[in-house]
Amino acid sequence: MFDISPDHAIGLYAGLLALPVALIVMWLRPARNSMPGTVQAASVLMTVSGAIHLGLVSTHLGERLTAVLFILNGIAYIGLAQMFTWRWWRPAAAALVLATIFGYLGFIALGFDTPDQVALATKLLELITLGLILVPVRGYARPRDRAYSWALVASGLPLLTLVSGAAIWGIGLATPDAQHVHAGAVLQATNAVATPEQVAAAAQLYAETKAATLPYQDWHQAWAAGYRPGSTSMPSTHWMNAAYVKAGYVMDPNRPEGLVYANSKHGPVLLGAMFQMQHINQFGPDPGGPLTAWHQHENICFTPLGFEFTFMTPYATCPLGSIDLSVSPMLHVWFYKTSGGPFAVDIDSSVVAAVDRS
Amino acid sequence: MDKQTSRPEGAFVLLLMQATFWAVAGLSAFPFALAGQPFLVGLGLASILLGAVAVLLAVGLLKRRARSRRWAIRLEITCLAGSLLLLVLPIGANHGPVSLMTNVGLPLAVILLLRGKMMRSAFAAPVALSGF
Repeated sequence: MFDISPDHAIGLYAGLLALPVALIVMWLRPARNSMPGTVQAASVLMTVSGAIHLGLVSTHLGERLTAVLFILNGIAYIGLAQMFTWRWWRPAAAALVLATIFGYLGFIALGFDTPDQVALATKLLELITLGLILVPVRGYARPRDRAYSWALVASGLPLLTLVSGAAIWGIGLATPDAQHVHAGAVLQATNAVATPEQVAAAAQLYAETKAATLPYQDWHQAWAAGYRPGSTSMPSTHWMNAAYVKAGYVMDPNRPEGLVYANSKHGPVLLGAMFQMQHINQFGPDPGGPLTAWHQHENICFTPLGFEFTFMTPYATCPLGSIDLSVSPMLHVWFYKTSGGPFAVDIDSSVVAAVDRS
Repeated sequence: MDKQTSRPEGAFVLLLMQATFWAVAGLSAFPFALAGQPFLVGLGLASILLGAVAVLLAVGLLKRRARSRRWAIRLEITCLAGSLLLLVLPIGANHGPVSLMTNVGLPLAVILLLRGKMMRSAFAAPVALSGF
């Protein structure tokens, strides 16, 4: 959802190229003086949306239906954008934008495409266009039409934005690609199946890490070594060693940057260790191939208040008081059996719950 | 009919969209709060409240209230400054097209729509909003 799909990038370039052209065409038309600026802006944005759709045709020639829909949509957008003086332009343009938005939602719901930044930017553009089409302007709209239009703008537009965002988010989270194992985590690219050497290397890393962190089963030892807990309001907590993080050790079993403890009734119970790289986008060594793939958390809305986090919305916003950031690559080593294996991105919540109850 | 500038109406649409984005961000915090992150309740509510303030400012723009124009510009300058800071800092903030549109393009557009002498005079005398 937060990446640009390679076959969609051309749509973005087409839209950016179309913007100055659409502005010049609008400027050259004397009829624009009889229309409010909101209509002119909506016309320009429709041309840009049309160009994005037409730009996508070249990379979708293998998908005949999709290519035909892109052509029809692009031509309809650009054609209608030029007819802004037509009496029925507002309802026709609003209907086209609505049909495109709902059509896209249906398209991704049926699995024909997955949401990416180009698609989201286009939908955002279309939602703003819809608002500009519908908003009545003093001195231009008839009083009879105004109340009707206000109702659509003030309630329909936010509702449509909310529904579109929720649908795209839900579909995006439900259908992550191979590199996105769960929301917000991007996996290191590796070979598909581990070789015998990689299996042996992963087993060695596991054994060395488990042996080296054995003393930290007593959390007092971890505290003495410089590990400090984050928020303890969750079932499990990462304890980080700031000195090890700063020193930049790379996958040193004797100096893991973090430890993960379950917050049980009887105090912290060691669940696993965590290696972390110093810099974003710098994945660590991967001796076990697909078994020891590092992951990087991206588009996290982090708040220093209690060290809590959420995920960034499809509209690229975070709750007030939190900032969007990425966390440098990390690799967990779990000492309890979990479904994803000893180096899984996450430990099963059922395992943590069982430890908490113990 | 007395034709007037439509820039306040354009700014209204953009502010309404921005308010909706904040509301979505606020709502998205609640499932995380339920999962054991209590501070997010406050942040979620604060985001929704900010969205409500943006809606009030947007309505004030339609009524050509000078105070709404001033506060809308201040709000957008704050948002823009924060977004630009996030773009510059090496913390891995999202720099994708949607983020640029929402967090940079949108506030910038509202500021450009509301600034200038013409807009100052358009907002000098508030007018009743008919048909609202």
